Amino acid sequence: MLKYSLRRILGMIPMLFLISIVVFTLAKLMPGDSLSGEIDPTNTNPQYIAEMREKLGYNDPLPQQYLRWIGNFVQGDFGKSTRFKLEVSAVVGERLPNTLLLGLTSIVFTYILAFIMGSYAGRKPYTFGDNLIGGLNYLGLSIPSFIAGVFAIFLFSFTLGWFPSNGSVGIGLTDGTFEYWLSRLHHVLLPALVLGLLSTASYTQFLRNDIIENSRKDFVRTARAKGTPERKIYNVHILRNSIIPLITFLGFDLVAIISGAIITETIFTYPGLGQLFLQSVGTRDYPVLMTLTMLFSFLTLVGNLVADILYGVVDPRIRLD
Amino acid sequence: MKKRSMLWLAALMLVLSVFLAACSGGGEKAGTKKEENNGKSGETAGKPQDGGTLVYALDSQPKGLFNWTFYEDTVDFEVLDLFDENLIDYDEHLKAVPHIASWKTEDNKVFDFEIKKGVKWHNGEELSVKDWEFAIYTIADKDYEGSRFENVRTILGAQDYHDGKTDKIEGVKVIDDYHIQITFDKARVNNLDNVWTYPLSRKEFEGIAVKDMLSSEQVRSKPVGLGPYKVTKIVPGESVEMERFNDYFGGKPHIDKIVVKVIDPSLSVGELKNGTLDMTSFHPSIIEQVKALDNVNAITYPGLSYYYVGFRLGTWDGEKNVMNEPKYQNKKLREAMYYAINREEWVKAFFFGVGKPVNRPVPSNHWIAADNKEMPQYKYDPKKAKQLLDEAGYKDVNGDGFREDPNGKEFVVNFSHYATQNPTFEARAKALCQYWEEVGLKTKLAMTDANLYYDLLDKADKSMEVYFAGWSTGTDPDPTGLWSSKTLWNHPRWVNEESDKLLDQALDIDVVGTDNNKRKDLYVQWQKLFMEDLPGLPIAEIDETMAVSKRVQGTKFDVSGKNRPNEWWIKQ
Repeated sequence: MLKYSLRRILGMIPMLFLISIVVFTLAKLMPGDSLSGEIDPTNTNPQYIAEMREKLGYNDPLPQQYLRWIGNFVQGDFGKSTRFKLEVSAVVGERLPNTLLLGLTSIVFTYILAFIMGSYAGRKPYTFGDNLIGGLNYLGLSIPSFIAGVFAIFLFSFTLGWFPSNGSVGIGLTDGTFEYWLSRLHHVLLPALVLGLLSTASYTQFLRNDIIENSRKDFVRTARAKGTPERKIYNVHILRNSIIPLITFLGFDLVAIISGAIITETIFTYPGLGQLFLQSVGTRDYPVLMTLTMLFSFLTLVGNLVADILYGVVDPRIRLD
Repeated sequence: MKKRSMLWLAALMLVLSVFLAACSGGGEKAGTKKEENNGKSGETAGKPQDGGTLVYALDSQPKGLFNWTFYEDTVDFEVLDLFDENLIDYDEHLKAVPHIASWKTEDNKVFDFEIKKGVKWHNGEELSVKDWEFAIYTIADKDYEGSRFENVRTILGAQDYHDGKTDKIEGVKVIDDYHIQITFDKARVNNLDNVWTYPLSRKEFEGIAVKDMLSSEQVRSKPVGLGPYKVTKIVPGESVEMERFNDYFGGKPHIDKIVVKVIDPSLSVGELKNGTLDMTSFHPSIIEQVKALDNVNAITYPGLSYYYVGFRLGTWDGEKNVMNEPKYQNKKLREAMYYAINREEWVKAFFFGVGKPVNRPVPSNHWIAADNKEMPQYKYDPKKAKQLLDEAGYKDVNGDGFREDPNGKEFVVNFSHYATQNPTFEARAKALCQYWEEVGLKTKLAMTDANLYYDLLDKADKSMEVYFAGWSTGTDPDPTGLWSSKTLWNHPRWVNEESDKLLDQALDIDVVGTDNNKRKDLYVQWQKLFMEDLPGLPIAEIDETMAVSKRVQGTKFDVSGKNRPNEWWIKQ
């Protein structure tokens, strides 16, 4: 296992290197740079723009720009955001807690809902309840998040007034107090619900199918023949077996939690990494853009590794060496 | 039976959701008869009341550079404007008027400034001219990374200080805490408009090197200003909380707290309706929805921008413009294209009733703007357009319905417009194309990504033959930076000796002295010349739009922006 993990981690290095080339090239291929776009003649002038281009090194040949960037990157210097004029690590650090909170909450929602709906549907397959759950799930899967987000705001914020429609924390609270955290939670619930609901479908259906499949296995028939109560068969024997494959999803969730939700965060004006990513594309903030993409790529690779290792852990038939 | 009831429930929910949709649709239409106040919000109840919290929304995240010396974009400006002050102010025609500082000058070269006594910073220190001196030195420093050096370059000796040749700026002389003398490198009529008049607190930035200021918490999270409100808390990218500053020099503010929040534009109407938002600027495309709200005034006030259609008449040789592109040199062609556009109709359709056609490359409310009556009008007249094209030799010779150029070759107007997420841009560009096609000019439209657009114009790229563009102008009326033959941003590459002469003269102290009327005369002549030569076709100007809750009183808006927030109050 250890050998396998080490081999995979070593294998990531060339992969990340190749990704960095692609990320850099794609970023630079976008038309314009951080100084182009609409000009405000009251605030700037051509000399200043030319000077800044020179200073930021936009005039150097691309390979040289790449080497400079990757060289600093490897040493942990991610550069300075051209938009915020701050170190990228500081900009990302400001938003990371928000994104983590949102991601974790939405995952909790997903797990709870998927667990309840999946086990119900699996136990009573092909009934009306199962079909209703299936229908709702596919509805959720097919509603785009920007529609769901706006509709949720209209209903729960504007009409019912249950949740705030924007921001990550209320006004006038001192950091760290109980009210502060309560307000953070209050703000995160609605976007998390929207995010979580929409991704419930795959988990639910996965769990449902697994339960159905397991319920036809020999050991279940034996248990029934022994006279074990139906409830115990489902809650103990089948559920345990069916939940194991779900654990492997954890690896992928890791990425989903960090990468944030670009659209949901934007609609809820929730300052997280997803929103930051979208804005840095719009303003050609290369340092932030490239750092985030590299971070997401790295996490995807790690997530895959975690998933593979977990497969081996929960199912001894899979050998990793 | 059970199944049945579930089905009914589902059906009921469907019906209900239809009702919901219908309701929200109807709600927007209800109450269409809302008065629209120009510039003022209801000044009905007399005496200002103290107290209350005002919620102000920004439509996108501030960058977080909350200091005049370092800010860059308009979002940060909106926040700064609430808690900090300029030393001088501008009236509704954008003429400089004394505010904290007043000035005297004999020759427009040496200025003697005097500031009011007892003006307090939020940290309790009294404002001294040394804070202003400190700001000028900071900006002139070689480590300074902002874009304001232009505003101090004209001070005598600032360039030398910037280059490290001296350690003192010769033109800045502090006399005492309230008096300062600033000498410019030469007499100019716009020295005052151009110079940097924002102080920087010495106390706050004591011991911070210039290169570290940009990332310091004095700029980012704990800014200090002179304004009617002081910042108490900043949540980066999300909100800024401010409370009343009782020692504000302009009088104690009425409202207790101002909360500035970032709210996605798609939510602003809902927030306004709920009363959870009191004041925000908004995109003109939603003006009808804002007007339909009972509790909100939709305020429009004159802006400082204009839009025009430009022709690529030449190219940029690296230092100056050269007018060497033959395709649009024929003035009759340009005139015909102007007559072909129905600007009234176009502005009504695409500027949501808050724009108006403009007949000069200067916004109407600027004090140098020429009277509309004196300007050539170019009213929509397709017949005249056709006639002009016929005269110029653009005739349809091969019978395809479109005109060929005087040599009988195919003639296509290649028109460019910038593209963003805004869906109306393509429609409005197509509409312009249609006007030209109606008079027989075949037109091809290219929508170019906004990030690339101005780059292409700067490089005088061949693809930008006819283009749509806009400029916003500042308080300095001088159009030299945009239209002189030696500036990069003269995108049509218009070279005209007369124009250069007029622009130079209007800045020449020997010609105009300190007489604003003389100066205006020259600018009026220049605007006439522009409209006769038509290097570009001025199309429209657009008003600024602001939503203000009816409970907020005492607000005033004009071309220079909002009045100071200490005059605002909330009806309890």
